[in-house]
Amino acid sequence: MKCPIALALTTLLSAAAVASGAQLDGAPWGTGPATGLADSAALRATVFGTPPQDMAPLPAKVPLEEIDIVLPWARTVPDVFWFDRRLHVWFSAQDKPAPLAIVISGVGSDGNTSKLSTLRAALYGAGYHVLTIPSPTFPGFIVSASSTGVAGDLLQDGRDLYAAMQQIVAHLPRRVQITEVDILGYSLGGANAAVVKSIDAAEGKLKIHRAVMINPPVSLFTSVARLDQLFAISIGSGDSGVERLYKRLYTRLANLYRLSDRVPTDDTDLLAAAATVLKTDADFSAAIALTFRIALMNMFFAGDLYAGTGVVIDPKHPPRPGDSLEETARVLRGKPFSEYFAKVFAPYYLAHRPNSTPESLKADNRLDIIGATLRSNPDYYAQTNSDDVILDKPELAWLQSTLGGRIAVYDHGGHLGNLGERRQIADMLDMLSGRWQKSGQ
Amino acid sequence: MRAAVLVGLAALALSGCASQNVSIRSLPPETPAADNAAAIKNAAALAAVATAASHGATAEDSEHAVIPLTTADAPSMYSYDPWERVNRLTYRFNARFDEAVFLPVTYGYGHLPAPIRSGVHNFFDNLDEVKTIVNYAVQLQPAAGAHSLGRFLINTTIGIGGLFDVATKLNLESEPTGLSTTLSRWGMHPGPYLVIPFLGPATLRDGVGLLGDFGVAYGVNLAHLYRGEKTWIFGVVDAVDQRSNTSFRYYSTGSPFEYETVRFLYVHRELIEDDALHAKDHPKERDVGAPAGR
Repeated sequence: MKCPIALALTTLLSAAAVASGAQLDGAPWGTGPATGLADSAALRATVFGTPPQDMAPLPAKVPLEEIDIVLPWARTVPDVFWFDRRLHVWFSAQDKPAPLAIVISGVGSDGNTSKLSTLRAALYGAGYHVLTIPSPTFPGFIVSASSTGVAGDLLQDGRDLYAAMQQIVAHLPRRVQITEVDILGYSLGGANAAVVKSIDAAEGKLKIHRAVMINPPVSLFTSVARLDQLFAISIGSGDSGVERLYKRLYTRLANLYRLSDRVPTDDTDLLAAAATVLKTDADFSAAIALTFRIALMNMFFAGDLYAGTGVVIDPKHPPRPGDSLEETARVLRGKPFSEYFAKVFAPYYLAHRPNSTPESLKADNRLDIIGATLRSNPDYYAQTNSDDVILDKPELAWLQSTLGGRIAVYDHGGHLGNLGERRQIADMLDMLSGRWQKSGQ
Repeated sequence: MRAAVLVGLAALALSGCASQNVSIRSLPPETPAADNAAAIKNAAALAAVATAASHGATAEDSEHAVIPLTTADAPSMYSYDPWERVNRLTYRFNARFDEAVFLPVTYGYGHLPAPIRSGVHNFFDNLDEVKTIVNYAVQLQPAAGAHSLGRFLINTTIGIGGLFDVATKLNLESEPTGLSTTLSRWGMHPGPYLVIPFLGPATLRDGVGLLGDFGVAYGVNLAHLYRGEKTWIFGVVDAVDQRSNTSFRYYSTGSPFEYETVRFLYVHRELIEDDALHAKDHPKERDVGAPAGR
């Protein structure tokens, strides 16, 4: 039973959750392709990511520091979140003056995902100091850094991120010399990055130069309903659907083990083995839908607790560290995003924003709240794929017409399925340094 | 001697700590180029395993045919955890201990030169071969036992007391086993989920296995390491070595459901291993209606 914990964290639903977890991140699905699902290649790319042989050249060694910070405005931490008092971010420093690249994670993810690790390596290799930070929808961020506790509002999340970034940058090791600041993000983090840059344009605290959005969503709320639809189609409603999926994956993984000569004992082997049990479009769709649902469960739980909306948590008797949350988890697994919006998000923001309506809240969560800036400011860039499953055709067209010559659209890759690939990395670095030319595509 | 160990621990812990509101910890550098090269190699190896496995599935040799499981054989999604309240509090204690003592000590330890750390790691791995050999013997697996005995002899002699893992370089790779696996071969179910103080997630069977394996080591008392005052130093260094080779971080999920997630993954992984151990039999008998592990 050597290293029991690490070995435990690599199987079954983690096959679904981990294999796609670092990759999904973007909440919403486009209305576009046929039934709302993307084609097989896009789903496969979304789940498995860039094949290792197609990765851009990466440096041999990247130094890494973890910075844990208690933010001055931190609210009282609820007992059940006792472990999220500090905000965790990761930093790689050059040993000479260099530009700083701040990278924001995708929906529900922390500041050290494998996607971030890939971007960190590429950016560090190109001479940047690299700071990777969690999504504002990650529970660790919600508890340690959010001013509301109710995540998912593009502008509010942007403000919280911006405030946290200022604190973090102020506390970077003294030896670090920064020549300029650029910002990036993947998936929802891409939209967050652009909003943060637009806030900084008014406030000027970080003087962010360029922003690159990697596979950003355009509309958060109007299309996220389709992810719920995907869940309903590929998994079924309620817990029985999740149980069926679990049994299918358990059986396949157990059979793979039974048929192979030896049981893999290494974490990496196990993870790879677990990923191979996902085979069909239905599996990929289920993995993607479930990954988003797991992220949503955390957001839902935190939002309900902070807003006191009482959907799954009794505001008068919040759970304590010794209490079982199995039943709460079971209930939340069955709850779609639309329910989070209707029962937690909207009640909270309607009460805090005079004159707002559910419709205006949804409209406020479209990237076109900064559309004019995106159109006119030459320092915003984007990369996406024409088969990105989170964008429908009108949304892709909107991005293209808004950014004009500052967006690269690749033919394949699904959602983030080409992150780290040679071309994606080369273009991203060119964008960050202002050298990128559309004609170069 | 104990005082010396405690002072040493405190010094290591302090060397890894920082101020109250902001702490900066140096982590081991990442090695993306090498990791990617390894990923390419692993992908190829796994493809080979998957191909071999699918051939195995269609093999006509009934002697070696493995009866595939069906979804009806899958255990419940819910884990058997009758001691949940205590387990949850132990999990929390472990997380706090990890943060306050274990991790800072491990970070301090990480500043020692790599050859020293790998020597320490190999040394403890080599000692573990003793319980592996004994368990293979009890499992009536003479070939595997001989393999481990070979590793032990090579590493103890040519590897200078186990400091160098020469055997792996000779393609005799480590294949550890323990009493928990032995008990599984005998048909014992994992039993209730159990969070062991300091060590972390386990099942009752794992807990019994750990005690039994320690009993074997204690009984053999190789090089008199397991008796007397030096056992303290020995135990602490073993623990620090194990922790520094485990990437798991408590609550890196940030999620209120981390306990449930870790429990699910731990228990079901163990059940999959049980199923693999009994590959040649019909699926191990289990009450799929009962919580997993019982």
